[in-house]
Amino acid sequence: MAEPIIRAEGLSKTFLSKERKKGEKKRKKEVHALKSVDLEVLDGEVFGLLGPNGAGKTTLIKILTTLLLPTGGSAWVNGYSITKEEDEVRASIGCMLMGDRGLYWKLTGRENLDYFGALYHVPRPDRAKQIEHLIALLKLDDFIDRTVETYSSGQRMIVAFAKSLVNDAPILFLDEPTVTMDVPTARELRRIVKDLNDHGKTILYTTHLMHEAEELCDRVAIIDHGEIIALGTPRELKDSLGHEDVVSLEGIFPDATVSRLRAVPGVLEVAVSAEDDGRSKLDVMVENSRAMLPRIIEAVTGQGSTVEEIRPKEITLEDVFVAKTGRTLAVDTRVVGEKAVRGRGG
Amino acid sequence: MSRGFGLGRPGPRASAGVVWAVFRARLKIITRYKGAVFLESIIPVIFAGLPILLGAAVAGGEQNAANNFFAYTGTTGRTAADFRLYMLMGSNTFMVVTLMLWLIGYWVRREQETGTLEALYLTPAKRFHVLAGVTSYTFIRALIAFLVATVLGALLFNVNPLEGNFLAAVAYLVLGIPALWGISFFFGALVMRIKEANSVIQLLQWVLAFAMGVYFPVTVFPFLLRVVAMGFPPTLMNDAIRSTLLGIASIYGPWYVVLGLMLIAAWLVPLLGYEFFGWTERRVKRDQGVGQF
Repeated sequence: MAEPIIRAEGLSKTFLSKERKKGEKKRKKEVHALKSVDLEVLDGEVFGLLGPNGAGKTTLIKILTTLLLPTGGSAWVNGYSITKEEDEVRASIGCMLMGDRGLYWKLTGRENLDYFGALYHVPRPDRAKQIEHLIALLKLDDFIDRTVETYSSGQRMIVAFAKSLVNDAPILFLDEPTVTMDVPTARELRRIVKDLNDHGKTILYTTHLMHEAEELCDRVAIIDHGEIIALGTPRELKDSLGHEDVVSLEGIFPDATVSRLRAVPGVLEVAVSAEDDGRSKLDVMVENSRAMLPRIIEAVTGQGSTVEEIRPKEITLEDVFVAKTGRTLAVDTRVVGEKAVRGRGG
Repeated sequence: MSRGFGLGRPGPRASAGVVWAVFRARLKIITRYKGAVFLESIIPVIFAGLPILLGAAVAGGEQNAANNFFAYTGTTGRTAADFRLYMLMGSNTFMVVTLMLWLIGYWVRREQETGTLEALYLTPAKRFHVLAGVTSYTFIRALIAFLVATVLGALLFNVNPLEGNFLAAVAYLVLGIPALWGISFFFGALVMRIKEANSVIQLLQWVLAFAMGVYFPVTVFPFLLRVVAMGFPPTLMNDAIRSTLLGIASIYGPWYVVLGLMLIAAWLVPLLGYEFFGWTERRVKRDQGVGQF
């Protein structure tokens, strides 16, 4: 069995933020971004970290990559302590954490790769070979010798991805790497990630795209409000919902509709995600979608509701998140988290 | 499977590679802003022109201005050319000092804003080697600006800095640079912490011009202010360069005292600045991380 290559024990992080309310003095407020997180990522696996904005994913990754110091707990990456052997940890990892940021715009893509290769202490001859390898692998030759300021957002993303591979580290941290890529480029990048994993690299991958996580990850941790609320293979997580089904509805729904739905016997959870034009999407978790469908239709019709689409759907990782939190992954924890949690269970 | 090239504990060759890579990248970036280095060399010439013209206007002629200036300040220069050279060297040294502070401060701020500071902190490169690369670049850039400004100023103001001990003056400039690095580390740490460069630079620039005696010897200050100003390394460097070029007495005493003080400053100030930078960095990593901008 594979050994853990990343291990966290009781990892916590508390930020002090200043809160200023109108007419009141500035107050210091404690924000618990991570609450005693235990985690093991096995050597050679693609490990997915899922959660909405503000859930604690970035804080966890920043601590594991030595950018932030934890308030409590310990962690080891490639066997090295993140607080006592920081340089060894950094030498063991390749990172793409900031999307297309982190490149020098007045340097060419090749100069950026060479620069960061030197900072990773890659010997010059190896560096040149590795850069040529990456140019071929990621098909960068059309633009790699132009300054980064002339790149499109997708081109900057792919060079930022190349930068994470320049030291050929055994562990890769990829934070939303496909976020501004077009569909074919994102698909190609996922293929390369899978290929890198097949060649032995351990990959910690954060995303809010469920299909990416399902396609790539051997195991997934769902993080919310600084805690890991579910962990397992995508299959295990979906199976953990037992015989539950999901009925998805799209249209215009007044607030009362959600309350009415929650009050229907047999409805386990309702998650709401709003779209810009006043339309909403409701994911209704039920024990038996076929039997419950008439009662759901009855609950949502009339009283100002407009149902545009209604369909039973397969359980996804998003539904696991919904079942655990009562919210969809699209919801920003920091903004409406409290409201959504209060709404659980009607 | 490949376990990577990276080394947590690099040898001297890899460390030198980091210094060289940072130095070369900074030079490449500045040369892609056309004319930047040349244009900044004109600034001290303009700055020196202001007190020269004002002095001539107030005193009713340049020689009168020179006589009044040297008599009042107790310095030993005599001719109008000495007066011009005094102002030119003050402005030049001031430019070198502000360049060093600006470059480190703006470097930290720019790297914060573009995300490259976080990218730097993700690599195993030692802070010392990265800073050595950046400071080598600031040194070369300041030296080029100093030399270009001296040549331009000499032509425009009709003075000959080579009449004095020019090589010794350049040596004092080089010896004064490490102390400036030290101050710039303090400054860079401050920028990293407060995430703002402009207001700090604006303020410090004029405090600096005042304290280091760009247009006058700090002996004209009241006692307490004079002591503070004389304890400031850029004042020492400015005085050493000027006294060497003009052949006038240093306000610090004989040459060996000046040299001794400069050696102490060149050793002590960078050490303190580097420690302060490291302390601030640890605090930032504990509080919100280097990436937050």
